[in-house]
Amino acid sequence: MKADAGRLPGPVPPRRSQKEATRQRVVTSARELFDTHGYEGTTIREIARHAGISVGSVFTTFASKGEILSEVMQARLEPLYAEIDRVMPHLRGCTADRLRTMFAIHFEFEAKHVRLFMSHIAAAYDWTLPAAARPYGRTPRLQDAIRETLEKGQADGDVRLDIDLQEIIDLLMSAYAWTYRLVITREADAKLLITVMDRQIGLIAEGFAPKNA
Amino acid sequence: MKHISPNQVAVDAPARAPTRRALAKQQTRLKVLAAARRLFSEQGYEGATIRDIAAAAGMSTGAVFANFTDKSDLFREIMHDDMEALTAAMRDAATRGRNVEDALLKIFMAGYTFYKTRLQLARAAFSVSWDKDGGPTLRGMSSSVAFQDLFTEQLTGAVERGELSQESEVKLRSQMLFDTYLSNFPQAIFEGWSLDALQARARDQIRILLAGARRG
Repeated sequence: MKADAGRLPGPVPPRRSQKEATRQRVVTSARELFDTHGYEGTTIREIARHAGISVGSVFTTFASKGEILSEVMQARLEPLYAEIDRVMPHLRGCTADRLRTMFAIHFEFEAKHVRLFMSHIAAAYDWTLPAAARPYGRTPRLQDAIRETLEKGQADGDVRLDIDLQEIIDLLMSAYAWTYRLVITREADAKLLITVMDRQIGLIAEGFAPKNA
Repeated sequence: MKHISPNQVAVDAPARAPTRRALAKQQTRLKVLAAARRLFSEQGYEGATIRDIAAAAGMSTGAVFANFTDKSDLFREIMHDDMEALTAAMRDAATRGRNVEDALLKIFMAGYTFYKTRLQLARAAFSVSWDKDGGPTLRGMSSSVAFQDLFTEQLTGAVERGELSQESEVKLRSQMLFDTYLSNFPQAIFEGWSLDALQARARDQIRILLAGARRG
């Protein structure tokens, strides 16, 4: 929300652009440190030093480390969404296969920074975070893409008409999120995550397939 | 200082009346656990410190450390107790199920009912379970494993009774049922879903996840 309000038309006043530059530097510096030392292992002081700015400036821009994390994670979404938009028109095959491709894109994307992504999930339950932080949660664009795929499946006779699509979306989303536990329990890489998710999608697809399919 | 689980104590302890010292120690443990449970529920896992817990229990941090190695040890002990109690309650609920679908629904609901009054503790548990260090230990506890096995047992039983087909992919399916059971907690924690709403949702989820196994 904050980012949208900041995007005003016309020349940017110098104060604002400086503040934006600080923001950018903090986010970039934090992303690098979170990636190498993990979220818990990184302090605001280190982020400041790495960004070459004072700790005070970090705190005038962000209320907490949690808020920086949510900003870092927010910033990652643009390239991910661009990738989905690029792939969507080229999806082929049955509904289950289309879904598999969409989730595979996500796993490959997040696996590059999987430690960071796990911190993001953990932070969703951390209540030392201020309300302003936006931890891991709903990803509306992914859900829209799934809905679109399922609706197409209904049109093709691949998906039952008498089914609550939101329920299927939620099941897929929870299967997706919980698959990441394999990173913790088995140090899974993207390939394993995708294999497991593919099987789960197959099982959910049995649930949404028309009765006589 | 080695952590000794209550089970080990039960096995190793000689069969005579506990000494006064052992009793006092046991009481200290219980006091710490009660204080910790309250603070974790009020301030989350990250927010509660050993110092606060000691203060709430009316003792020194040294006394806390004499009984528990660290905060995560303390938290695991609480989760272990809860999960054992919950698994028993779920197993009991499942026996009243009319069929596998109903038994699973009763298991889900036993869990949501159990945590209805301790959602903040559940939230703390999720936080720890996604932690790089705390996660594997919490998920690997014998009580966590037994808890998950409950879902597998239901499906295995249903296959044996002929309710579900032989090719039911029991392992994957029970894992997904377990994940789905957990995945509804955020709705309860953050969106205040009622037990009725959770039940309606869970019923549909179970139906969808079992659909493929029914057709066989």
